[in-house]
Amino acid sequence: MTEARVRGDDLATMTSRTLQIQALLTPERMQGMGFAFAILPALRRLYPDKEHLARALSRNLAYFATHPILAGFVVGATARREERRANGEPIDDAEIDAYKRSLASPLAALGDPLFWVTLRPFAGLVGILGITFLPGAGFIGPDLRVLLCPLLTLLTYNAVALPFRLFGVARGYASADRPGELLKSLRLAEWSQAVARAGALGYGALLALVALSLDFGSSRWGVDGRSRVASLTPLVLGAVIGYAGLRRWPGRGVEVGLGVLAAAAVFAATV
Amino acid sequence: MLPEMVRVAILGGALTLDRTAGWSLMLSQPIVGACLAGILLSPGPEWELWALRVPIGVGALLQMLLTDASLPAAQRQHDTATAGVVGTAVAVLGMARLHEAATVALGGALWVLIGVAAGLISAVGGGWVLRFHRARSRADLARAEHLAAGGQARAFEFLYWGGVLRIFTVGALWAWAASLLGLAALLVILPRLGDMLTARRIGFVLAALIGAALAAAYRAHVAGRKQAFRWVALGATVAVVLCVVFRRAAP
Repeated sequence: MTEARVRGDDLATMTSRTLQIQALLTPERMQGMGFAFAILPALRRLYPDKEHLARALSRNLAYFATHPILAGFVVGATARREERRANGEPIDDAEIDAYKRSLASPLAALGDPLFWVTLRPFAGLVGILGITFLPGAGFIGPDLRVLLCPLLTLLTYNAVALPFRLFGVARGYASADRPGELLKSLRLAEWSQAVARAGALGYGALLALVALSLDFGSSRWGVDGRSRVASLTPLVLGAVIGYAGLRRWPGRGVEVGLGVLAAAAVFAATV
Repeated sequence: MLPEMVRVAILGGALTLDRTAGWSLMLSQPIVGACLAGILLSPGPEWELWALRVPIGVGALLQMLLTDASLPAAQRQHDTATAGVVGTAVAVLGMARLHEAATVALGGALWVLIGVAAGLISAVGGGWVLRFHRARSRADLARAEHLAAGGQARAFEFLYWGGVLRIFTVGALWAWAASLLGLAALLVILPRLGDMLTARRIGFVLAALIGAALAAAYRAHVAGRKQAFRWVALGATVAVVLCVVFRRAAP
């Protein structure tokens, strides 16, 4: 009897499918449907008969939640487990489910601080900093910042995130027997720390650039200290209200932004 | 305007896919969405310069205001993906049609303000619209279980691709409808503001918004992080030194 094996093209298809892993996210199963969709090419290869395929698909439709960028590692590692099971090893449904969860939970716990909390804001900040450092329209040509700033954001984020996505399934499949070693080798905590520092560094640069752009020497600021204070007042007021609002209602930047906008418009109209 | 709105819709759909389906390639960040919309929209040759500048301002401010460093589960459901696109579409298309009604634009600052306001409102509305997709996903789960139990792998795949297509459609329709609604509202409101739009008032509101955006960025990059102030100080020093060097080197 020939051994059932997952092929390289199956791993490539699974990698492409992990890009859609959150499409049918539900509170009951989280990424469960996405996981089943991603691992399906391997299941098809391993279970040619309909009955076994049905059981495997149902098994992999169970609750699954991890970081979407790192989901490929779990998909690849689970495919390897399924392969062993298909070849007669005594691995039951509960064992596969427990294995998935044992990988998914630490990957979520390490991935969220890196990708959502530090890297995503940092990538956006790099794009914003690009507005100041990149040249605008001039004798050398048109204003290319509209193209270069988003490119900077995309490059910053994907330089870190894309390798995890592209090689996740293959590495997960290859390291399925050594999950602890796999988690350690990703060095996600170290990445988080480094990116968090870079974010604070970038914020300092942004503050300095905003302060420099105020251009206190310009005549529009007036010559006396009183008019300078009057000119700085809306900036400081906006910052104080924004900070207080976000501290009181964390994660409601939209509402706080709209509130500041409305308050400033009303105040400006009455003065 | 029809080709432009089609481009806005396609861009909105693609960015919603990036955010909702799990591509997570950062295309759905407001600065990227706003700038891409700026590239795709062409309000006419006389407005080309502003069509390239206004999206950068809209994108940068929305990026700071909409960046939430908390985990997705702890966030309110806002559609940050299409906010930049809608904000830019309203600002750029409105600029080309209403420049006579708003003679004082303060170097494009008025259109940036309008774009940011439209983007923020669109983020709230888009969050409600995406609830439709989430509700449908729950209904799809029962069907997926039925198909899986029957070993109907191909039908399960169709169901899943249908969900992906639904995300694109919902995002595209929302980006299109929100841009049109925003533009219509602007066409009605802005001419009535007339004399109220002075350079001083526009500058005041823009400065307040920049202040709020900096506060939001502080929450995202500095608050609660160990030794962050050292890195902030270092970043500020490096930026000042670089600016001095660049200014001296400039002809």
